Amino acid sequence: METPSLGEFEELVLLTVAALHDEAYGVSILENLEEKLSKKINISAIHVALKRMENKGFVTSRFGGITNDRGGRRKKFYVITAFGKNVLDNQYALRTSLYQRIPKISFG
Amino acid sequence: MKNTPPKIALKFLRWFCREDYVEEVEGDLIQIFEEESQISETKARIQFIWNVFHYLRPEFIKGFRIPHNLITMFEHNTKIAYRNFFKNKSTFFINLGGLSTGLACALLVFLWVQDERSIDKFHKKDDRLYQVMHVIEEGSTIETLDWTPMPLSGALRDQMPEVEHITASYPPGNYTFPGKAELEDKRVKVKAKYVEKDFFSVFTHPLLAGDQSDILSDKYACAISEETAVQVYGSPDEAIGKILKYEFGQYGGDYVVSGVFENIPSDASIQFDIAFNYEIFTSLNPDIMRWDYNDPCVYLTLKKGVDAKAFENKISGMVKANFPDSKGTLFLRKYSSQYLYGNYENGKQAGGRISYVILFTTIGIFLLVIACINFMNMSTARASRRTKEIGVKKSIGAKRIDLAIQHLLEALIMSLLSMVLALLIVFLILPEFSVITGKQLTLMLSPTLLISLILIAVFTGFLSGSYPALYLSGLRPINILKGGAIKSVSALWIRKGLVVFQFVISLMLILMVFTVAKQVDFIKKKNLGYDRDNVIFFNEQSPDYDALKNHLESLTGVISVSAIRGNMTDGDRNNTPHLNWKGKQEGDFVDFDDVVVASDFFETMGVNILEGRDFSQDIDREADNLIFNKTAIDQMGLIDPVGQTIELWGRQRKIIGVVNDFHLESLYKEVRPAFFRIYNESVNAVVKIEKGKTPETLEAIDAYHKEQNDGLPLDYYFLDDAYDQLYASEQRVSMLSKYFAGIAIIISCLGLFGLAAFTAEIRLKEIGIRKILGSANSQIVTLLSKEYTTMVLMANLIGLPIGYYLVNQWLNTFAFKIDLSIWFFIASGALTLLIAWFTIGFQTIKAAFLNPVECLKDE
Repeated sequence: METPSLGEFEELVLLTVAALHDEAYGVSILENLEEKLSKKINISAIHVALKRMENKGFVTSRFGGITNDRGGRRKKFYVITAFGKNVLDNQYALRTSLYQRIPKISFG
Repeated sequence: MKNTPPKIALKFLRWFCREDYVEEVEGDLIQIFEEESQISETKARIQFIWNVFHYLRPEFIKGFRIPHNLITMFEHNTKIAYRNFFKNKSTFFINLGGLSTGLACALLVFLWVQDERSIDKFHKKDDRLYQVMHVIEEGSTIETLDWTPMPLSGALRDQMPEVEHITASYPPGNYTFPGKAELEDKRVKVKAKYVEKDFFSVFTHPLLAGDQSDILSDKYACAISEETAVQVYGSPDEAIGKILKYEFGQYGGDYVVSGVFENIPSDASIQFDIAFNYEIFTSLNPDIMRWDYNDPCVYLTLKKGVDAKAFENKISGMVKANFPDSKGTLFLRKYSSQYLYGNYENGKQAGGRISYVILFTTIGIFLLVIACINFMNMSTARASRRTKEIGVKKSIGAKRIDLAIQHLLEALIMSLLSMVLALLIVFLILPEFSVITGKQLTLMLSPTLLISLILIAVFTGFLSGSYPALYLSGLRPINILKGGAIKSVSALWIRKGLVVFQFVISLMLILMVFTVAKQVDFIKKKNLGYDRDNVIFFNEQSPDYDALKNHLESLTGVISVSAIRGNMTDGDRNNTPHLNWKGKQEGDFVDFDDVVVASDFFETMGVNILEGRDFSQDIDREADNLIFNKTAIDQMGLIDPVGQTIELWGRQRKIIGVVNDFHLESLYKEVRPAFFRIYNESVNAVVKIEKGKTPETLEAIDAYHKEQNDGLPLDYYFLDDAYDQLYASEQRVSMLSKYFAGIAIIISCLGLFGLAAFTAEIRLKEIGIRKILGSANSQIVTLLSKEYTTMVLMANLIGLPIGYYLVNQWLNTFAFKIDLSIWFFIASGALTLLIAWFTIGFQTIKAAFLNPVECLKDE
């Protein structure tokens, strides 16, 4: 089976989901990413990425308990699947191997 | 207290967003809103709304995916429709027959209308092609002419930069000069036009040979049609540069062929074979180059982007500016509109052939509607048979919309099937239809036609399917499945109302058939003031009229010979108000027709001479004598007119006779005042033939004609035929209305038949019980037909007044018309009732003679 592709923004979101482990939901992912990238992101972009990755099988989701915040709406928590982790590992390995092939000469 | 996000945005989000996503999205959005609103509430609100709009994308919108059971449902519905058709064969065939006949009629009308509308539209510059029209206000009469002053085209060309190309054309309108073109031993009759050199730039008549830019620049150049070129020279290329001898009185002579144009298509209103340079005409008539002499028609194309209205205002006063005494103003008419909108009354546009287009379009639509009504009625009536199906479907969860779609689909299948059948019908009767309408209609399946056909079929499907769909889908399952009969007062009313409507239309068509047929008959038999039987008419240019007359009169069977300039029947002749008579008051205005005839004209035509005498053959003695018709004498107010002198065009002339009024034009108009003067030449010879000796006399005349014209056969017509030709369109309407009325009645009756059969079927048990209790057969028949009789009587009540109004409107266009007798209305009403009874009679009688055991034994 062909591995579904992982876009750049999707990769960032997936990494954040993995990093936040069990605490990843829309707003927390947004805040984390905005802090790291130091730029504004629209929440809808996060949702789109999450939905797509859920369809591809990179993440799974579950509803949290009812809270008093958020107008009583439940949070939807995402966790990375083994498959998702695998894809991330492959991606990381590929980048590292490519990076190491850069000759050690001075840039300028 | 916590701030709340904008409610409307939230509602909107809930409305469009997928249900399984909405809670998560809402929650996250609200959380962001709550955090941000601690800084600035307004900003947070704006941000919230902005965010909501970000979710307007396919992944988040509900119902965006195609439900996978759509195709299954389609399959299911088609199958049910198919089974239903087979189950109720009679209903199916009544519907199919009705709808396809209705559609076929609508299609024929559509083809005809399309053809009518395409006339003169083929010119490439159609949108900029105009004709200059002339309105003359004289006293209380306003006349609209297409004849314009002689110098007009030249003045417009020189003074108006807006004009791209312009051409004058003579003879005016669609008239042409008859003449003969010859080359050595070949002679053909041709129809000639005198046009200016830009004619072929204004109109689109592509050249097969020759150069368009200088086709008529030489005075003696001429352009001929492909047909003429082939007849005379063999081929178009062969003709270029050749000499063509043209014979037509003073206009005759030798011309050089400089161009050959494609044969004029049949959808052009001006038909001609040969075009000469306009200069020939003006140089032969130098004294008429005046602003008060109206003759040619002027056609022009405006440059791109020129506002026609502004240009019209600019030129309207042009005649007065050049000739202060003129009472004329100019206006522009779109050239392609002249065919359908050709009539003017008191200077205002007053329709024309468009009235027939509208009439037949209306009839076509009505026929289609009548056919659709059949379908609606049959479907709703049959509803009780399908209630179980609907009930079960509803109970297991079918929505109203699903059921509506199912029934609409059924109607659509029906209308598409009917369309196929209708096409077949049209294909079969198109040749016949072409003959009746006098057109060359073909069923070319062009993309536009195909799209129109599909649109018409879909429209018909929706029209006939929408009511049953809404009605059937709205039934309550609980009532249906309980087994009670469905009682819907509104449905019954609508069904009855529709039947009444069908009969109103049929009734009006029947009334129309009666009136049109009667009026056409009246016209044919109307005493025109002259005897049009056994009179033939032919074009004969003989330099020696006396010789022609003497010779023809010596033939056995010829009673009398005369001639007239112009045509007997089309009423297109010169007219002048410049007559002075004894006792003429200042301000007296009479516009006289100027009719030029040869000797013995009134005797030949059988016109009654009231006083005085006919013109004699002695031309010198008669040159200054005039004969008037009675209307003219009455309008001048002369007493004892014979022998009085009249001044005409500066010369004193004597009245030698007064003749009874007779019609020189169609009965749409009153007889106009006219004077007759003599000119012994022959343009159109008129020959009165002895009754019963027509064939041999014609042969003798033909032989003489051939001898005089190098073997060219005689091209004659009978005056009564020419007269009937005037009313060709009325006769067509009469004929077509008969067919359409017949079809309307048949379709209506089909529907009635179906309904009656159905009523008889569901009331079978009732009838059985009634019979057991002692009802007579006649009582049963009365019982069953009472309902339909009331409906038809209702239709009479509504239809007759409307019909009266419409028919009267049409008759008012004639100056001489029949009186509408009450019998027309009684007959039309009685006829519809009889037809209705006849239709339902079979069903009711069958039901009445039923053996009660047959229908009651089951339960």
